[in-house]
Amino acid sequence: MEAAFIDQVIASRNGRPGALLAILEAVQNRHPQKYLPEATLRYIATAMKIPPARIYSVATFYALFNLKPQGEHTICICRGTACHTRGSRSLLESVRLDLGIGGGEDESPTSPDGKFTIRTVACFGQCALAPVVELDHRICGHVNERTLTREVAAIAEGHDR
Amino acid sequence: MAQKKISIRIDGELVGATEGMTILEAAEGAGKEIPTLCHMDGLTAVGACRLCVVEVAGIGRLLPACTTPAQDGMSVTTVSAQLTRYRRMVIELLLVERNHVCSVCVSNGHCELQSLAKSLGVSSVRYPYNYPRLPVDLSHTRFVLDHNRCVLCTRCVRVCAEVEGAHVWEVTNRGIKCRITSEMNQPWGSASSCTNCGKCVQSCPTGALIEKGFAVEEMTKRHENISALALAKGARP
Repeated sequence: MEAAFIDQVIASRNGRPGALLAILEAVQNRHPQKYLPEATLRYIATAMKIPPARIYSVATFYALFNLKPQGEHTICICRGTACHTRGSRSLLESVRLDLGIGGGEDESPTSPDGKFTIRTVACFGQCALAPVVELDHRICGHVNERTLTREVAAIAEGHDR
Repeated sequence: MAQKKISIRIDGELVGATEGMTILEAAEGAGKEIPTLCHMDGLTAVGACRLCVVEVAGIGRLLPACTTPAQDGMSVTTVSAQLTRYRRMVIELLLVERNHVCSVCVSNGHCELQSLAKSLGVSSVRYPYNYPRLPVDLSHTRFVLDHNRCVLCTRCVRVCAEVEGAHVWEVTNRGIKCRITSEMNQPWGSASSCTNCGKCVQSCPTGALIEKGFAVEEMTKRHENISALALAKGARP
């Protein structure tokens, strides 16, 4: 935890409405594993004079905030209606199988080696490209199992696309 | 400065009120009863349970009486077939969401959800039950948090933050995964900000927050004195 950085972020934004969201986002982005450890949340709570329960409530309400360490790469699969009818469920299941990630509610969405995290979204708003997968913030349309496996393998080998 | 007097019509009857009052406060002042669950005198209103919905002439949708300010000349209906239908539906949806099994609940007979269901004539539930698998937090030395009975009215959250000032409770997650959580999701017993005052237990309308070691007939709750304290403190004018 970088107390100096957190203090600086809080100082630059505190007092404005909605400051907590911006502060949490900045602190999370700074963390190498893109998450908010409990100690960090407690530090922010003390520094901003907000009850810890309040911060925890905000951090769990928004899907943007992670309370667990994230993988190096993020695979985000759209589970909207258009993508679902074009087979996004089998994409999700196959990539989970490939990476050894369980699909249960209590199971970690991050692969055991810490390389990949799988997320789902309700809709990217790119239904014409269904099924849509976002790989490290790059949108890929008309994905099938073969292209997805290829893309994931390319990222795992370190090819920057 | 004297507050402006207004008059509104509740079920056809002219009722005097002061500006800034909610419909619920005006109705209670006139001796009218509107069913409520998440409302507790002295705490901020959140309009979470939707049991206090009323019809207001000229407005096409139902409005919660606890958060809608009374306006001069307003005509409010608190009893109608439509309102009863909606209120019953609210109770039924609350019942299916968690494991509300009155027969094995310590609050049986002293539960606001149960008495509302009874008074609104909810004799059966038309929706399938969710039967979620939920934990019971027994870590506190004196109290129990049973998620199975929780209706997420947030009375405990508000009483703790506004009256006791400890702010131990908060709702975490969203939608169907919403839970009442103490501090940062640690067991209640190890939440350092809890003062063990028991206001949340006394405010809880169901058997979600209860005292340890109490039998069914003993688990009565009193929140009137907490309301009086809150009003005296001026948590909400």
